[in-house]
Parts: sequence; structure tokens; C-alpha cells
Amino acid sequence: MSMGGENRMTREYLSEIADFIARYLSYMLGAGVHTSRVVRNSKRIGGALGVDVSVHTSQKTATLTVSGKDNGLHDTRVVDIPPFPISFEWNADLSALSWAAHDEEMSLDAIRHKFDELVSKPKMNPIFVLFMASLANASFCRLFGGDIWAMLITFTATMVGFFTRQHLTRKKVNHYIVFIASAFVASICASTALALGIDTAEIALATSVLYLVPGVPLINGVIDITDGHIQIGISRLVNAFMLIICIAIGMSVTLMLVKDSLL
Amino acid sequence: MEEVFWNSIASYNAATWPWQIAMTALSAFFALVLWIRPCTWAKIAAKVYMVILSLWIAFVYYMKFGSVREYSNVMTIFWCMVAASWIYDLATHFSSFQKSGRYSIWGLVMLVLPLAYPLVSVLRGLEFPQITTPVIPSAVALYMLGMLMTFNRKINFFAFLLVLHWSVIAISKIAIFKIPEDALLAAACIPSLVIFFLQALKSAGQEMKPCYKSVRMLVLAVALILAGCMAAVA
Repeated sequence: MSMGGENRMTREYLSEIADFIARYLSYMLGAGVHTSRVVRNSKRIGGALGVDVSVHTSQKTATLTVSGKDNGLHDTRVVDIPPFPISFEWNADLSALSWAAHDEEMSLDAIRHKFDELVSKPKMNPIFVLFMASLANASFCRLFGGDIWAMLITFTATMVGFFTRQHLTRKKVNHYIVFIASAFVASICASTALALGIDTAEIALATSVLYLVPGVPLINGVIDITDGHIQIGISRLVNAFMLIICIAIGMSVTLMLVKDSLL
Repeated sequence: MEEVFWNSIASYNAATWPWQIAMTALSAFFALVLWIRPCTWAKIAAKVYMVILSLWIAFVYYMKFGSVREYSNVMTIFWCMVAASWIYDLATHFSSFQKSGRYSIWGLVMLVLPLAYPLVSVLRGLEFPQITTPVIPSAVALYMLGMLMTFNRKINFFAFLLVLHWSVIAISKIAIFKIPEDALLAAACIPSLVIFFLQALKSAGQEMKPCYKSVRMLVLAVALILAGCMAAVA
């Protein structure tokens, strides 16, 4: 219903809308969508259901207030943002859902049903991700001038490092420690290229940790700041820089062990 | 570089051949015990032996006799990581060292292949002590791969990936150090890559994307690329 809602905008119904939008925005923020899009989409769904939505976000939680347009009813939710893996698919699908709700005047039940369908799609196969990340790093190695041996070594070094990351993440180890360990393992494996006397061994070493670079939080942080969501923008950038420092620590240990210096 | 490489192998063999014979016998013993009577103590002892074998390569082969080679400390650290992967296995029971009833024969072939290292060296005209033996890094990696393949119900994936990495190094060593014996390891690693990853795919169970067929194609494509690199080296 578009807004057959006006008549039946009871406190219970408002509460149901608030529950759904809280869930919707927590999933989007958790999947790495930048804040202004999440706020825009949440307001769009709210508009389609005949309510005003106000959102405040921080790194770990979000607060939203849903207000009936004319009846003076308000409902507020504070939700934790779950740490989902970055998902461009959820980003696209859930954004499309907000437009569908707006254009097709979907009812709350229909939106909720569609949302559940979208978020319960099968997960990415970890072995597929492992292979693709390794191939991507080998390709980076080639782009930076690595020869075939450096590419092969980068491929398997990434595989060992990425598997370490997947395994430790599954074991719920602190993600900063995961980043340090993965960067160390991948770079140590890649540094074996030095012992073979390969000309482009240093390129293999440098590109073996690229899979860890937190590109999405960095981009989102900048977008959030430019869109005026300074607080969460800075939080995301700080988080991304912490991860970069962890990569640097892992790699520095390797360089200190292998080359007796950082360069 | 090639001369330094072969000289370090010669001095290693000359000084450690009795130890190497004992370790080869122990390797055969553990494989036999796990095949015939896979009891808990045998599994634990085999994992402890894997740790010792890795540390032997790290400290005796690379740190003591290979120290004349450039960046031999990198290889020491790498083999310490292999040892760490087996210690982690001991602590967490990551692998079970049990037969699954599949690929065991292929595993046995791989377990015997390290013995072919000195034979290949002799066939191509090398003489003791400047020959490859079953207790050099690539032959040890091949033995580990054989153990993983023979007893593959639940494998130590960390150790497998590290051995896979070593196999890629072996492929490049064929070209760089003129050590064709390493083709044995390189040839064994490609079917292992396919078998272990397809097994892991099947055991994942739940529905995932992309579909099983697509991921299988990807694994096969990567195996073909590796085989292509080997062929190019050959």
C-alpha cells in the first residue's frame, strides 16, 4: 500500500516501519555502503510508506526516528551495525528495492518480503574468492612490471595469505591481528622470490599484500566527509588507516627479517 | 649462482648422509604405520615428525649448509612457517591423517617419488655428493604432499598451500638452477591442487555462488596455467 497508510497509521504500524527501516539501514551500513546513500534510501522507503525518517549514524550504531506525517506519532530505534563483508550486490539490490518501493507503491509486507529474499541469496564461495583475489594480485604484479615467475609466486603467496585471513576470520580472531598475520604470511611467501634471484622479486613482495588494502572504507570515508557526514567519515578513515598500519606492521616484520631494513 | 647451489647440496649430502638415510627410513615407517594401523599416537607422532622434518630443512639444510646462498634466511623462515603449520595442526587437529578411500594409490605413488630424486640425478650423470636426495626441500615437500594425498579425509590446508607455493618455486628452480628433478614435485602439485580444491568445494555443502561448475572450471583453468608454465620451462 502506498499510503492507505494515512488511515491506519497506528503506533503499532509506525513501530513496524521503524523496525524494518532500522534493519534495512543496518544491513546497508554493515555491507559497506556510504552513509548518504543509506540515508537517502531509508528516507525514500519511509516516504513510500508515508512517514518521515531521520537518521544519525556512527561507526558501530545507527539511530533513526520515524515520524507520522500528520498525526504527531514518533518512534525511535538505536541499532547495532553488524560487521558484514563488503557487498556490492547488497548495495545495488537494496538500493533498487528502495526505488521499487517508491515507484511501485509497495506495501510494508511486500518490501519486507523482498528484502528477506535479497539478503538470503547464497553467499560467495570462499574458494572462488581465494582464487580470484590471488589472480587479481598476480595481475597487479604484471601491471607493475613483474615477470612470469614473480606473477606465479605472487599468486601462491596471496593464496597462502588470503587463506590465513579467511581461516582466522572464521575463528573470530581480532581483525587487526588477522591483517598483521595475513600481511606477514603473504609477504614472507613472496620474499622467497628474492632467494631465486628473480629480477622482479621486489615487485612480487610489494604486490603480495595488495588484497588487504581497505579500498572501500577509504573511498566511503572520503565520500561521507564530502557529503557532510563528517563523524562517520572520519571513523571510517581512521579504521581504514588502522588496517593500513596493520599491513605495514606485517610487511615490516618480513622486511626486517629478510632484508635487515625496511627498504 | 648455479654453482653455489650445487656446491651447497654437495656439502650437505657429504656431512649428513647417515641422517638422511635414517630420516628416509622414518618417513617410510610413518607412512606404513598410518596406512596399516592409523591409531592416535601414530597420527600425533607423524605430525611431530613433519615438524622435525620442516625444521631440519630450515636449520640444517638452509641455515647451516645453504648459508652461502643469497637470502637463504628467507627459506629458513619459510620452512619454519611450514613447521608452524604442522604445530598448529597438532594443536587444533586441523587434519585427521585418515584415508578417505579415494586417491590413496595416487598418494602412495607420490610417497615413493622422493626416492626417485637421486635416481634422476644419477641418470643425468651426477655423482655423490653432488646429487639430489629424498631429504632436500623439494623431495620433503613432495613427501608431505604424498602424506596429505594418501590420508586425505581432512587435510592440513595450510601445509598444502605452503607446499603448493614451494612447488611453484620448484618450477622456477627448474629454469633458474637447472634442477630438472624438481619437475617431479611440480608435476605432482597440479593434480593435488585440483583434487584438494574440488574436495573442499564438495565438502562446503551449503548453496553458494557462483555454482560448483563455474568454480570447478576456474580451478581447472588455474591448474592448466600452472601446467602451461611447466611445459614452457621444459
